[in-house]
Amino acid sequence: MHKIGRGHREKVQQFMAITGATDKAAIQSLKASDWHLEGAFDIYYTQLQIRAVTDSKLLEELYRRYKDPYAEMIMADGITLLCSDLQVDPQDIVMLVLSWHMKAATMCEFSRQEFIGGLQTLGVDSIDKLREKIPLMRAEMKDDQKFGDIYYFSFGWAKEKGQKSLALDTAIGMWQLLFAEKCWPLMDNWCQFLKVKHNKAISRDTWCQLLEFFKMIDPTLSNYDAEGAWPYLIDEFVEYLVENGLAHLP
Amino acid sequence: MSGMQKKKTSKIEPFKQRVENDPNYSEKAWKVLEHAIHEIYNHNASGLSFEELYRNAYHMVLHKFGEKLYGGLVSTLTFHLLKIAKSIEAAQGPFFLEEINRKWDEHNKALQMIRDILMYMDRTYVPSAGKTTVYELGLNLWRDIIIHSSKIQIRLLDTLLDLIHRERTCEVINRGLMRNVIKMLSDLGSSVYQEDFEKQFLNASSNFYAGESQEFIESCDCGEYLKRAERRLNEEVERVSHYLNPSTEKRITKVVEKEMIENHMQRLVHMENSGLVIMLINDKFEDLRRIYNLFCRVPSGLTSIADVMISYLRQTGKKLVTDPDKLKDPVEFVQLLLDERDKHDEIITQAFNNDKTFQNALNSSFEYFINLNSRSPEFISLFIDDKLRKGLKGVSEEDVENVLDKVMMLFRYLQEKDVFEKYYKQHLAKRLLSGKTVSEDAERSLIVKLKTECGYQFTSKLEGMFTDMKTSEDTMQGFYASQFGDVGDGPVLSVHVLTTGSWPTQPTTACNLPTEILCVCEKFRAYYLGTHTGRRLSWQTSMGTADLKATFGNGHKHELNVSTYQMCVLMLFNTSERLTYREIEQATEITPADLKRCLQSLACVRGKNVLRKDPMSRDIAEYDTFYFNDRFSSKFFKVKIGTVAAQRESEPEKQETRQKVEEDRKPQIEAAIVRIMKSRRVLDHNNIVTEVTKQLQSRFLSNPAVIKKRIESLIEREFLERDKTDRKLYRYLA
Repeated sequence: MHKIGRGHREKVQQFMAITGATDKAAIQSLKASDWHLEGAFDIYYTQLQIRAVTDSKLLEELYRRYKDPYAEMIMADGITLLCSDLQVDPQDIVMLVLSWHMKAATMCEFSRQEFIGGLQTLGVDSIDKLREKIPLMRAEMKDDQKFGDIYYFSFGWAKEKGQKSLALDTAIGMWQLLFAEKCWPLMDNWCQFLKVKHNKAISRDTWCQLLEFFKMIDPTLSNYDAEGAWPYLIDEFVEYLVENGLAHLP
Repeated sequence: MSGMQKKKTSKIEPFKQRVENDPNYSEKAWKVLEHAIHEIYNHNASGLSFEELYRNAYHMVLHKFGEKLYGGLVSTLTFHLLKIAKSIEAAQGPFFLEEINRKWDEHNKALQMIRDILMYMDRTYVPSAGKTTVYELGLNLWRDIIIHSSKIQIRLLDTLLDLIHRERTCEVINRGLMRNVIKMLSDLGSSVYQEDFEKQFLNASSNFYAGESQEFIESCDCGEYLKRAERRLNEEVERVSHYLNPSTEKRITKVVEKEMIENHMQRLVHMENSGLVIMLINDKFEDLRRIYNLFCRVPSGLTSIADVMISYLRQTGKKLVTDPDKLKDPVEFVQLLLDERDKHDEIITQAFNNDKTFQNALNSSFEYFINLNSRSPEFISLFIDDKLRKGLKGVSEEDVENVLDKVMMLFRYLQEKDVFEKYYKQHLAKRLLSGKTVSEDAERSLIVKLKTECGYQFTSKLEGMFTDMKTSEDTMQGFYASQFGDVGDGPVLSVHVLTTGSWPTQPTTACNLPTEILCVCEKFRAYYLGTHTGRRLSWQTSMGTADLKATFGNGHKHELNVSTYQMCVLMLFNTSERLTYREIEQATEITPADLKRCLQSLACVRGKNVLRKDPMSRDIAEYDTFYFNDRFSSKFFKVKIGTVAAQRESEPEKQETRQKVEEDRKPQIEAAIVRIMKSRRVLDHNNIVTEVTKQLQSRFLSNPAVIKKRIESLIEREFLERDKTDRKLYRYLA
């Protein structure tokens, strides 16, 4: 039991009365919010799912299983092992979602913090439990809000460390992965166009705006607005479609 | 005191007129008056006594018989007027008007007399009973009985209109009579004049001129038609002044303008072989003046002329700037532009009253077609170059200013002023370095004009170039002063030290200078760096010139003016009689492209072939051999072989320059975007594009696609970001 001051004790009581949380959870939330009740409520409720207690010892063991022998990171080999343990393909989109939960900085490597933090967020501390979460993670891709977050996250994750832009091939691979279930009819044209006409890295702005484009603009381009402040590349894409008779402008 | 005296007061007795006692008094009085009126109308007024009549009327009114008097007046007048009407109706042909005129005159005189007689009634009974005064009554009755009589009204109108029509068809009519009759109508009231005459007059005129204009336009050319229209207009104005009411002038001119001009505007202006365009081409000032004066009277008359002028100018201009023949000689080309402009400016001054509409038409047309040719900026700079090199030699200062001002007008039309700047810099550099400028004053004057037009930024580098030239002079003086006694037989060096930023950038090319030159160059370098520590000098071998004294066979001596490259090549022949291309290339290390050009100018140009080439082909090949041409001769002592004059660029050079310009524009656009966003903080895409274009339009026309790319680059570099909710908005990131 942690040593808590009088005033804080009262807040813990209040918190537990209102939320019905355990005292441990109450203390953690209050501590995290610097002993402000309102902030504590926020933290508590957003982490409700995560309040399943995870055993940090188990997490450490798990980390050590996968970590690279020479570095304080989980590298490619570790990830391959992880995937096989989970019985998923390394190219499976679930790995991307997992990386997102971990807030991983770069693809193909997890830092200790990222790995453990991610599993805690998911509320798991064993492979079996993680495996059970896989369907949930898949479902997250279907949620529009989460899909957006994952999409934006992917840019920073997929690009080379220290680069500002995303290499074209990687970008195309990512797009095909992300949009696999979205069935966007223009995706193939987009990739084709980029290979033929652009052949350079993709900027963050273009990456982000493509999602907007996908969400807002009809595949027949009927509501495309030339004055719509779309990135230059997307304007060129529209031109390309029109030139090749694949769409008509209103 | 004696007894009281009776005072006798005198009493003035009133007239013993038993007026009020006589019940028939009013009747009697009226009879007298009635009789008088009859007499007046029968021209028998002389026997009447004014005093008696006045008295009778006075008493009638006084004793409350005003109504009877007034009523009687009305019926008597009516009676007479009916008689008059009959006599007018009976008049035949030309006598009709005359009769009206005469009777009107008489009626007026009669009315005056009657009014005088009945003045008391006019002043007392009439106002209190709310009736019209005698005179006015007389007019109204005349109007109702005579003018509006069914037998007279139409006939009168027809007669008048007929006479006017005849006069229009060149018959002579009695204007005095017309004047009187029409004045009668005016006197009867403006509504009478308008309703019973003017309206129909305008109508008839309208029909007349509609017909006539149709006839004219089928048979006349534009100039002739306009002359006739003008004539008719003047005629009508004159007619009004002679016998119509002045208020009609405005209305009738409007009718003529409408029928003769407005309705045929387009046809006139576009008439083949005689319309506006022909007039413009042939400088027909008189016709143009006339068309201007006539068309400015009708709504959108001037704009129709301006429109035709604009489309004609645009067309001719477009043809001019896309005609490959005309584009062969840039100087000629620009001269043609200037001539075209002068010609039309003259027209606008002489014939169009310097009207702003046409100034604008001229300017907008020129702006349109000058920018159709992307080489216009280059050509204008070449034109100036030519003038400043030789064209303005011996010309008076005033005329120089004139020419430069005119060129500035063309400059103003350019949309890509930054392209002009690039070329101007290049050409100016060549002029300055070869010392080939006709007048330094003229050069400076033009810089000042450019500065006034475009601001300090535009000309600061150019001015820097002038400063460098001046400074170099001083430096050279200092150099030679420091070299006393050390000169000897070596070559005489003249150096221009150029500040890198101000002059057009040239890539430094390799070139092995002959030892004598190197030696003296080193001396200079030492001197210069001694006085200017921390600077770096690099010799620009592509921009220099040299004067060589050459001795040919038979002792012929010539002085050759050559470029630095050419000098290096020629000096090699001091030690060898023959050299292959390879050997020359190795020795000088000049790049192949430049070397070939250089050798070509030394060996393949008639009159300048100080070298002989084997084989004798025009082009330089890698296995060619070169010999010193002992048999070279020229009638001039000084032979100029250097190719330093500015010429129109070849296609690849042009591409290169254009690319440089595009590159230069990018930072300017970015700077503008940042400036705008810094002050606005948040702005949407379209507004940014508009603002940027506006800010930069004095230098060049921005391409919205390029602006977009720059915005994206700035987003990349985190100067801007997109708004999280509205993707069309951008935010400035501090």
